Amino acid sequence: MTMPPPDLHTVELFGVPRLLAGARAAEAVGATLAELAADLARRVPALSGPVLDPASGWPNAGYAFVVGERFTRDPAHALPGDASILLVASVAGG
Amino acid sequence: MLGVHGRLLRIDLTTGESAAETLPPDATRLVLGGIGLASLLLLRECPPGADPLGPANPLIFAASPFIGTGITTASKIALAARSPQTGMIGDSLSSSYLAIALKRTGFDAIVIQGQAPEWSVLTIDGERTALRPAGALLGRDAGDAAVALRAELGPGFRAATIGPAGERLVRYAAVANDGRLAGRTGAGAVMGSKRLKGIVIRGDRLPHVADPGGVARIARSLAERSLGPATAKYRELGTAANLAFFNRMGVLPTRNFRSGAFNGAERIAGETLLLEHRADRHACAACTVGCEHHYRTRDGGPAIETRLEYETLFALGSLCSIDDPNVVLRAAARCDALGIDAISTGGTIAWAMECADRGVDLGVPGDDMPRFGDGAAVLQAIEAIGGRQGLGDLLAEGSRRAAAIVGQGSDAWAMHVKGLELPGYDPRKLETMALGLAVAARGACHNRSSAYEVDFSDRLEPASEMAARAQAAAEAEDRAAVLDSLTLCKFLRHAFDDLYAENADLLTRITGEPFSGDDLARSGERIANVKKRFNERQAWTRALDALPPRLLASDANAPSRIDRNWLERAIDAYYAARGWDAAGRIPPDRWTALGLPDAAPAGEA
Ligand code: SF4
Repeated sequence: MTMPPPDLHTVELFGVPRLLAGARAAEAVGATLAELAADLARRVPALSGPVLDPASGWPNAGYAFVVGERFTRDPAHALPGDASILLVASVAGG
Repeated sequence: MLGVHGRLLRIDLTTGESAAETLPPDATRLVLGGIGLASLLLLRECPPGADPLGPANPLIFAASPFIGTGITTASKIALAARSPQTGMIGDSLSSSYLAIALKRTGFDAIVIQGQAPEWSVLTIDGERTALRPAGALLGRDAGDAAVALRAELGPGFRAATIGPAGERLVRYAAVANDGRLAGRTGAGAVMGSKRLKGIVIRGDRLPHVADPGGVARIARSLAERSLGPATAKYRELGTAANLAFFNRMGVLPTRNFRSGAFNGAERIAGETLLLEHRADRHACAACTVGCEHHYRTRDGGPAIETRLEYETLFALGSLCSIDDPNVVLRAAARCDALGIDAISTGGTIAWAMECADRGVDLGVPGDDMPRFGDGAAVLQAIEAIGGRQGLGDLLAEGSRRAAAIVGQGSDAWAMHVKGLELPGYDPRKLETMALGLAVAARGACHNRSSAYEVDFSDRLEPASEMAARAQAAAEAEDRAAVLDSLTLCKFLRHAFDDLYAENADLLTRITGEPFSGDDLARSGERIANVKKRFNERQAWTRALDALPPRLLASDANAPSRIDRNWLERAIDAYYAARGWDAAGRIPPDRWTALGLPDAAPAGEA
């Protein structure tokens, strides 16, 4: 039996990312947000371009991660194994 | 100064007379226009203690220097009056071609006083004003009445109308124009109290602009930026996109704020609505973004198409435990047609639903009490409110007044601040927003506070100093005031790299007088103080800067609670950030330092 990589995370998708991916969540691997975003762009090509930068995978302006209920666009943000990770529009609210 | 007319039109409905007057020469420099100008005029024109539904309460319409210049989203009309819902400042803003029509009359603002001898329509055709009998328009839906008026008078006229709810003085009745509502704080009831079913405006005199080429170039650039990533959410999904995310964060007000998460959220989520109910996408007057998503019912009943915003969705959906999107769409359409604010409608119905849950007698048979999750009951309650029939007559008073009438402890679950029902942000997990809602001059309002922006960002750590949070809440309020006074849409805010500096540059090119980013920031501060001063004159006390008791109490279902002492300290810090005294009042030297001495009316309380 193959064990999942220790830094495999579920990324919950909201708004445009959810519509493009056609799913409410996607999996990606990364010890930091930058690694996770790059892997997410590879695994969900529909996000690459409109939401994630095709070269780096990092979210374009207008999108952000929410980790543990805190907004962040810090690529070095370290991700614990049980991190709750959301990909959302950075313009939250009205 | 270019870009404005420097004049207002005063109309006395009692006598039918009108007169042109000069605006204070420094009005634009002090408060920009729009909401700032309407608030400043209201402070000057409304006597302390004036009955909000009496002839002495002026109804003010104001334009801004940006209107008519081609700047995207800037065609918004500002309204102000003493609110019949809160007794405090009532101000609202609505996208509308009426804003351009008003600007073309040769006036920057209209002050309407008195009461017409019979139900009337006010016609403003350039400098000429007339009252005509409302006749067959009475009783008609707000949008229908506007269509009928324009059909009769010609498409050159633009109309603002009230629906049946405004005629019956529902305290949260709205003023409708071009399918949008100036919704919050009851301007529709003030218009109804003046026996005005509609106002139609036409004009052909836009003021000159100092640097038309420069303004046009920036307007083009802004229009391009308005189609970039900063507004993608609004274009693709509209504000309905908030619902699923708010639910996941536990800040979606549910079941009259008993909870911050709703089991039925995915059924009414923006993403679901888009896939299963989408009809079309529209734009407000002179807007390149186009965030107004329209949806179609799909329940086998008579099909309707209607616009739907997040605030309507939460208020008529999760707040009342309604997870049927068709019911929410029908309810939203009826609120628009009757001319009532959807947030206060949903908030007051949710209060009644909790009364039913708790066995509180509302004077109607138990079977007629609205229950959480009962879509038919929501639709029935909305009709009853619009017509002030049966239970609707009580609910038309709003949750604060209704609870005071009914008693039986029901004020414990009336979810309002200063009488204005809470918007769709559960402040128990949004600390800056909690403070912003408590202190906002017009009552619980996301648009005037905007403090949620701080919570939905990495700007402040949860354990930040109180002073930093208070400062952030005040600055968010000031930014919102500047946008509302330049009559720019808030959805454009992230299209600017430097909101104040870029808009100061635009204002300079329009008016021909120098404005800096700091000047705009100062105007934001002034506008917050003008509104506060108005409230001070209308018997405001610190006790009104508060949150509903439910948000401060322990509840197993709630996301958390706000500590009462924390809130009091946060309010203290906010007053300090504003330069107000410990009681929350504006010291005379603070008022003067803001350059507002002439705006303070004689004989103030
Ligand atoms: S962005 Fe949306 S709300 Fe703002 S003016 Fe445009 S259509 Fe209206």
